[in-house]
Amino acid sequence: MSSPFAPSSSKPGYGTIDLALLQPSTPVLRTLSYQYPLKLIAPSPLFVSSPSSSDSTTPTLIHTVFLLTYGGGILAADIINLRVSLAPTTRLILLTQGSTKIFKAPSRDVLSAQRMSVSLGPGAALVYLPDPVQPFANSVFEQAQVYEVPSLGSEGEGEGASLCVCDWVSRGRGARGENWDFWKYGSRNEVWAVGTGEGQKGRRLLLRDNVVLDAKGGAGTGSVGIAARMDGLGVFGTLILRGPVFEALGKYFMDEFGRLPRIGARMWDEHAEEVDVPDEDIRRKRRQKQEVRDGLLWTAASVRGFVLVKFGAREVEGARMWLSSMLKAEGSVERNFGERALLCLK
Amino acid sequence: MITPDPNQQSLQDEIIALERRLLEAKSRLNVNGVDRPLSLTESSNGALHTLLLLADSALPLGSFAFSSGLESYLAHHRPSPPSASQVPSFHRFLHLSLSSLASTALPYTLAAYRHPELINDLDNDFDASTPCTVARRASVAQGRALLSVWDRSFKSHYASSALSNNSNVEIDASIAFQDLLRNPPPGPPESQPNAHLAPLWGLLTRILGLPLHESAYLFLFSHVRTVTSAAVRASVLGPYQAQAVLASGELREKIQALVGEMWDVKVEDAGLSVPVMDLWVGRHEMLYSRIFNS
Repeated sequence: MSSPFAPSSSKPGYGTIDLALLQPSTPVLRTLSYQYPLKLIAPSPLFVSSPSSSDSTTPTLIHTVFLLTYGGGILAADIINLRVSLAPTTRLILLTQGSTKIFKAPSRDVLSAQRMSVSLGPGAALVYLPDPVQPFANSVFEQAQVYEVPSLGSEGEGEGASLCVCDWVSRGRGARGENWDFWKYGSRNEVWAVGTGEGQKGRRLLLRDNVVLDAKGGAGTGSVGIAARMDGLGVFGTLILRGPVFEALGKYFMDEFGRLPRIGARMWDEHAEEVDVPDEDIRRKRRQKQEVRDGLLWTAASVRGFVLVKFGAREVEGARMWLSSMLKAEGSVERNFGERALLCLK
Repeated sequence: MITPDPNQQSLQDEIIALERRLLEAKSRLNVNGVDRPLSLTESSNGALHTLLLLADSALPLGSFAFSSGLESYLAHHRPSPPSASQVPSFHRFLHLSLSSLASTALPYTLAAYRHPELINDLDNDFDASTPCTVARRASVAQGRALLSVWDRSFKSHYASSALSNNSNVEIDASIAFQDLLRNPPPGPPESQPNAHLAPLWGLLTRILGLPLHESAYLFLFSHVRTVTSAAVRASVLGPYQAQAVLASGELREKIQALVGEMWDVKVEDAGLSVPVMDLWVGRHEMLYSRIFNS
């Protein structure tokens, strides 16, 4: 994309976010275009004072874009196509304002969809921490988030791109008694390594996380409704972490996962006096007790250069609180991207 | 429709006459020296024999070490009086686990069978789609074991006959993949071959000449057998109950339905139909005491 003008696409639902780098180190939103029903809002970028100290060329200006839809939700047959590109070393926060509501469809065949493809240059970093998707009863929705990161050389040289993206879905309008009553919800997250230099072959799949909840299914899955498959959870999500910027955060999740109390162990110290315990331990204990109260289950895995966190809880609020407390306790997202990055977790 | 008596009588007579002719014809056939057990043509006999080999629970894949999340599931769903039966829990889990395996892994088995030359990509993509450490460990351990069984036990007996049929694309694929596994290319860990069970099952059952449908059916059935046997060893089921689970018509229908459902699903569209399964399997590592590896 070398043209300074927005592509003259008039297709409904199409949008483009193009974050370029003005030499030496000023990131600018070169393109921000969108068509109904998609709406993008970019508040003025904020300077974040303490970027990672080792690298002085890291841009400190952080751009934020809100992904919105007219009416606060996606109607049946709405198709949204968003293309995002981040120039090398730039940083972007993508947020939503409130949960993405998926309104009911007149029939099973009327699909609504949101497709987002993000291409990140070397050293670029994306934080995408939206509110959860909230599919109403009888809705049919599919979304796909496809991220392209530069592939590293055979010895792991070259600068990778960093991702901190969350994808979560709730059972619908719990207050109205909806409990995973949609017809279909699918969400796909893919990360592809794309060769940049010569001699590197095309694309290679690094990660695919594809959730398909179809109320119909065949005889195989259909006999178990989605609610039964979700085992009492009201929200389920995946957090994908990758790259140098989020290395510490990924390590934090792995360490905390390792420190969870063992299932089936006796809690000898349940009523023990807490003396001479570091603050960190007290905070952790408090968080773990809250996890039990919220029915929050989570697991973290470090595979293929990613840390992948999966979590589920009885209510959205429980999951939100947990995610926020984890990210705040570790602190690097706030330090590197500013408070705004965690807006959807408030 | 009501037929008048004389007509019915004549029809019955005709049937009797025809049956007699059929019997006569059959006996003449036997006299003519074709008195052998039925359907022992070379290929179908081979397939039956192979099926028996692969369906044997003594096939050294190490499957007994894995419960595929059952142990963790039961720990997350303790019965409210601790003495209550865990059998209903087991049935719920088995159902979910089978659906989950079919929706995530079966498309890879089918694809590797149909396109053996893509085994390396399928292995990579399956690895990329299995972000749960515990599940990966189980899948890779069994995949490698299957490859060893092929290499050490089956290869010398099957490769020659396949070669004579000029259908060696799958053999070439398996040899190339094994070479890759022995001498992995330099590069980051995510570019290394892994040897996951699902795609290798497809590739090797093709080499062994098992029909695709049987291969897929057996893949799911073996999973049920593994989980059920884990339940027996975890003292959830008795051995007779376990056999009843395996013999049930319900299970047969379900496996059949799942194979049909996933038959045309592309590997890109394989996905988690039971996302919570990842939580249970992943949290297996947190169990205070465990008897299984997954």
